[in-house]
Amino acid sequence: MKLNDLEQSMLEGAHGRAAQWAIDYQRSVGTFFDARDFVPVRVIHMSTDRETMGDAGVAFLEELAALPPEERRPRAFATADFRGFDEETFRFLLPGRDLVAQSAEAVDALGKLGVVTSHAYVNDHSVTAPAFGEACGYSGTPSVVYMNGIVGARCNFEAGPSSLAAFFTGRVPHYGFHLDGARHATHAFRLDFTPATVVDWGVVGALIGRCLNSYWSVPAIEIVRDRPTVLELNHMALSMASYGSIAMFHVIGVTPEAPDWETACGGKTLTPETLSQSDLDKFYDEWGGAGEKLDVVALATPQLDMPEIVQIAELLDGSTVHPDTTLLVYTPIEIKEACARIGLNGVIERAGGRVVHGHDFFATFAKEIREAHGWERLMTHSVKAVNICEGYGYKPTPAAIPRCIESAIAGKVLP
Amino acid sequence: MNEFKGHVGIGPAVEGIALAAHDNFSTRYDLDRDRGIVSRPSHKLYGENYVGRILVLNAAKGGVASAWMLREMVRKEMAPLALLLNDANPVMAQGAAFAQLPLIDRFDTDITAAIRTGDHLHIDPAQGLVRVLR
Repeated sequence: MKLNDLEQSMLEGAHGRAAQWAIDYQRSVGTFFDARDFVPVRVIHMSTDRETMGDAGVAFLEELAALPPEERRPRAFATADFRGFDEETFRFLLPGRDLVAQSAEAVDALGKLGVVTSHAYVNDHSVTAPAFGEACGYSGTPSVVYMNGIVGARCNFEAGPSSLAAFFTGRVPHYGFHLDGARHATHAFRLDFTPATVVDWGVVGALIGRCLNSYWSVPAIEIVRDRPTVLELNHMALSMASYGSIAMFHVIGVTPEAPDWETACGGKTLTPETLSQSDLDKFYDEWGGAGEKLDVVALATPQLDMPEIVQIAELLDGSTVHPDTTLLVYTPIEIKEACARIGLNGVIERAGGRVVHGHDFFATFAKEIREAHGWERLMTHSVKAVNICEGYGYKPTPAAIPRCIESAIAGKVLP
Repeated sequence: MNEFKGHVGIGPAVEGIALAAHDNFSTRYDLDRDRGIVSRPSHKLYGENYVGRILVLNAAKGGVASAWMLREMVRKEMAPLALLLNDANPVMAQGAAFAQLPLIDRFDTDITAAIRTGDHLHIDPAQGLVRVLR
C-alpha cells in the first residue's frame, strides 16, 4: 500500500503509539484486499458490545486508554453503540452475570479515549448519517449496508478493532465499496409480488443473501410497487448482510445510486432472477413451530421505532401475556423515554411485557439467557435475529409483530 | 504433494489437521465458543470440535462480531488453528489481523473441494500457500 507522508510518520511513531498500532493494523488489512492507499474519514461507528469484545477486546481498549493523551489522539469523530443497559431486565435475563459491571471497564476506556458512547445505531433511527458519497468508517454490518445502499455513503465493514484503528488515523484502507466500480450491481432480482410486512422484506433479504454468499456481490432489486419505507429497506438490508455478508445493494428507482437499471449496473446487462411469494412461503416453512409452547418473544434487531411500539401497545391493550411466555420489546433509550411520556410503556408493562432499552437481545449473551431460563422456542419479527438465534440453540419462528403478540398472549405459536 | 495458491494472507505459518466442508462461516452465528464446537444445526460441520483445527470453508458471512471474537477465542484457547476460505470478507480479515490468526483466501481452486477433513496441512500466509502433507 502506498502511504503518504502523514501515514508514514504515523507508522514510524511520530503521532503516538495508538496511531502507530492503528496504521500498521490497517495496512495489513488493506494489503490483504489489495488497497492502493487510504481514504480519509470524518465519522466512525464502533461495535463494542461486551459479548463480542470479550475480555481480550476490553483489555486492549484499556491498554490504549492508559497511554498518555499525546500517545492516543483521535483523528475522527466516533460513536460506539454501547446503548446503555436496562439493568432490571438484564438482571432478570442474565441472573448469573453482572453485565453492567462487566461492561463498565469498556465504557470507561471508550470515554477516556474520546469515543461518544451513543445509545443507538444510525439505522436505529437516531444518529446523524454521513452525506451521499462521503467515505465513512462504520462497524456494524446493518449500519454499513444502510450507509452504502440507502444513504449512498461509502464504507466497507470496519468491524470493532478496525473502526478503532480508523478513529486514531482518520482514514480507512481504500478498497471495496469506496471504489466506483465495486458499487455497481453484480446480480439482479425482480420481485413479482409486494412484501406485506417488514418480516417479508427481511425474508427477501435472507433469500438474496443466501443466494449470493459473497461480500463482493451487489444485488439490484426491481420491485412492483411504490417506494418501500426506510424501515422495510432496513430489514431487507440487514438480513442480506446477515445471511450473505452483503454490504451494498440497489433498489431500482428507489436507492440513490440506482435511478435505473443501466446506472445501477454500470452499463452492464444483467438478467434478473424472479423472487415470488412461494419463495417466501418456503422460507417460513423452514422454521415452523405452529402450536408449540412459546418461551420468548424478542422484538429487536433493529431496535423498534415509535410506530411499532404504538402498534404493540394497541395489540396488548386489555390483554395479558401468557405467564409462561416472556415478551421483550427493545428500543433505543430516547424512544423508550418518549413512549413512557405518552403512556405506551405502561400499557405494555401492565400486560406483562417488558420495554427494554440498551443492548439488543442477540448481542447480550443470548445463548446464556436461553440456558438460564430453559428456553427453546422464540418468535421475532427480525429475520436476522432468526439467523443468529438458531446458532445459539433456539428454535426461532419469524413472524410479523401482530402474530408475535397474539402468540405471546396465547403462550404458544399461533399459525 | 498437492499445493494450492491463494492470495497473500494474514498471520504466521502453521501446520495442522484440516476440518473442511462446503459451507459458510461466522464465529457468532455458527460456533459455541465456550465448548469449541460448531453449534448451528444446519451447518455441515454441526457438532464438530474445531479447536486447534485448520477450518476450511467457503465464505465468511455476515456479522461484525468475528473481528473482536477471534482474539478472545485465541486467548481462551477456543480458536481454530487457522482459516482457509474461498472468500473472506473484511470482518474476517480484520479479526484475523487482530488475533494474528492465520488466514488465506481467494485460491486458484475451490479450496473446500480440494482439501478433505483429516488432511495434514502446512500453510504459509505470507506466500498465500497451502501444502497437503498427508
